[in-house]
Amino acid sequence: MTFVTPGERLPYDWLPVAIPSNTEFGTNAYLHSAFAFRHYRSRRTPGVRVGDHTALYDSTMFDVGPDGHVSIGDYCVINGPIFATDHDVHVGSYVYVSYEVYIADSSAPVPSWCWGETRRGRAAGRDIVIGDDCWIGVRSAVLGGAVLGRGVIVGAGAVVDFEVPDFAIVAGNPARVVGWAPPGGHRPDATQRLT
Amino acid sequence: MSDSSWESPGPEPQLAELVGQWDYSTLPANVRLGRECFLETRGVVGPIKTTRDPALVIGDRTRILSGGWGGSMTIEDPGMVEIGDDSVLIGVQIMCSELVRIGARVLVSYNTVIADSDFHPRDPDLRRSDAISGAPLGEWFGYAPRYSAPVMIEDDVTIGINTLILKGTKIGRGATVLAGSVVTADVASGASVQGNPARQVEP
Repeated sequence: MTFVTPGERLPYDWLPVAIPSNTEFGTNAYLHSAFAFRHYRSRRTPGVRVGDHTALYDSTMFDVGPDGHVSIGDYCVINGPIFATDHDVHVGSYVYVSYEVYIADSSAPVPSWCWGETRRGRAAGRDIVIGDDCWIGVRSAVLGGAVLGRGVIVGAGAVVDFEVPDFAIVAGNPARVVGWAPPGGHRPDATQRLT
Repeated sequence: MSDSSWESPGPEPQLAELVGQWDYSTLPANVRLGRECFLETRGVVGPIKTTRDPALVIGDRTRILSGGWGGSMTIEDPGMVEIGDDSVLIGVQIMCSELVRIGARVLVSYNTVIADSDFHPRDPDLRRSDAISGAPLGEWFGYAPRYSAPVMIEDDVTIGINTLILKGTKIGRGATVLAGSVVTADVASGASVQGNPARQVEP
């Protein structure tokens, strides 16, 4: 089934505005409203790519600048983060993202079309990679430079902007590795605190 | 198929309200707007609960945007909010009862809260009388005086997402407050701070 057709309105949307045509949505991908694209100004093709069976729920926003690109894999639950980037963001498959989460290319992003005389933002920004099976907790921030491996868990309120190995659990501001959650159980060093 | 888009809302009044194309002259008379200001929605500059004049001064070319979850400026008597030229604020929540001054070319990113008071007294008995006074059909004793101190954010400051700026703090010129910080004390000019409470880090 197709819920989202680029260039057309969502049939159930409260807003009289079309989904941008430079987007791609897979089979059974769901989007709550075209409101998600209020600050979307990407000139890339596609600026946003969403895989099959991925759901983008209420309050998810794509504040993607002219050079920005967000790609999201299959079977993700995207429960209301803000993607604020003028760089590339790659989200894998089977990823959970909680609400009030920021996935942003820098610590203080604002939409590129209103930088004005401040002229800050673009140079500071960096790409972000979120691996398959990651789980991003509420109110956390995944910032430019973050490369999350497979199955990484980001604790609530954490601020992450560095490379995180597979199956690590990170928490805190600034975040650090506080444990491990690999498939089928724990690593021998599960009780050891790193960094 | 719709002819409206976020960049050219066309005749849709519902969309125009959401992209800054509304009548700024309908703002209260104690709001002073500079030239070429951009206020994305009506909600980003209110509610203004004081009759002080001016209660809100916004500089030239300053842009105030609503984030995903909106933004607001609650200005209570006798508060005043001043924002300099060429600043960009997105999704910021300002709660002012004395003075919040933001300089020029300041960048305030998503979901930042700036408050210049504690809202309620420390004395639990006075807090209880506040609770009764504010309750629906509660007995009116009047609100206790609240402790407040101005928040000063100087020129060229950058404030990251999810930040709290608490009362009585001064953030020096060119300083950077990194994402998720809680600013409880002054920040030196040019410094970078991070954490709760915010401490100086290497930039």
